[in-house]
Amino acid sequence: MEEKLLTITQAAEKLGVSVDTLRRWDNSGKLVAIKKDGGVHRFYREKDLEIFSSDIIQIAHDWAKDDFDLPSSFYCSNSAVFQARLTKLESLLMDQPDLAVLFSVIVAITGEIGNNSFDHNLGKWPDTPGIFFGYDINKRQIVLADRGLGVLTTLRQVRPTLQNHTEALDVAFNEILSGRAPEKRGNGLKFVREVTTTQPIELFFQSGDAEVRIKDPEKEFRLTRGQEILRGCFAVIKF
Amino acid sequence: MEIELKKFGTTLISRQAGTEAFRAFQPTLQEVEKDENLEINFDGVLTFSPSWGDEFLSPLLEQFGDRLILKTSDNLSVQATLKTLTEVNKKPFKIED
Repeated sequence: MEEKLLTITQAAEKLGVSVDTLRRWDNSGKLVAIKKDGGVHRFYREKDLEIFSSDIIQIAHDWAKDDFDLPSSFYCSNSAVFQARLTKLESLLMDQPDLAVLFSVIVAITGEIGNNSFDHNLGKWPDTPGIFFGYDINKRQIVLADRGLGVLTTLRQVRPTLQNHTEALDVAFNEILSGRAPEKRGNGLKFVREVTTTQPIELFFQSGDAEVRIKDPEKEFRLTRGQEILRGCFAVIKF
Repeated sequence: MEIELKKFGTTLISRQAGTEAFRAFQPTLQEVEKDENLEINFDGVLTFSPSWGDEFLSPLLEQFGDRLILKTSDNLSVQATLKTLTEVNKKPFKIED
């Protein structure tokens, strides 16, 4: 399941910049293109463009990859801080006339993803505890990330036969896990998939080298293996 | 007996909060008669999630079966959560107007 690469023309169109600008950015290292087998043509991964196009996405992604001091406005050190900020997001979304009905599911899936991070990593954080939680109401996006154990490691506690990150995300998003006591949690991502495939909400979710995309208009659940490995989880919700 | 969920809060999201709500609810639960229905009213709840619902509604469904009656809600998060919980529990909730 290799990810499709975009040509420089497609990438320029997606970002709303010229092809020449992309060439300059490649030469300067600002946005590095992929060259196949030492060729001269530039290609781009869709996720790289998504990351580049928004600052909060960039910050969250960089932090999930390499630990650094997060701005306090994005950092939720514990679940109580997250709940309080999520309630604030809820009231901001309710104030948007076009989100009068949709806000509740946006908040619910954000809560499930963020709480998953805390529930699965409590007492087991490999380094920095807590999550990145940022949003931009104008851009209609919410970003969450953690530096936890990741979905594969936590799911292996109940499914020891899981082989890799893509299998783990497949189970996490698609299979109902029951009788998981004492590891009782575990069906939040199914809910996230159900909501994002039926409502005008898009999702990108990465753990390890596995990446899930649910996008308008086709709303298909796409699970691919990327080239980069993130130990924890990284999620972008667009609405 | 009818329970207004908003008395536990209007943003019902985390598993911990669901567990705490269920514990706090135990003394009230003792008052339900053996043949009495337990009705859950979602009016006033802004956001409802499967984590909270699994800690509160799933054990009630186990205990009360058909005597647990959920009032219809037009809140999207309530509807989506009940769908997920039904799949997890492999048992439908009784939903009435």
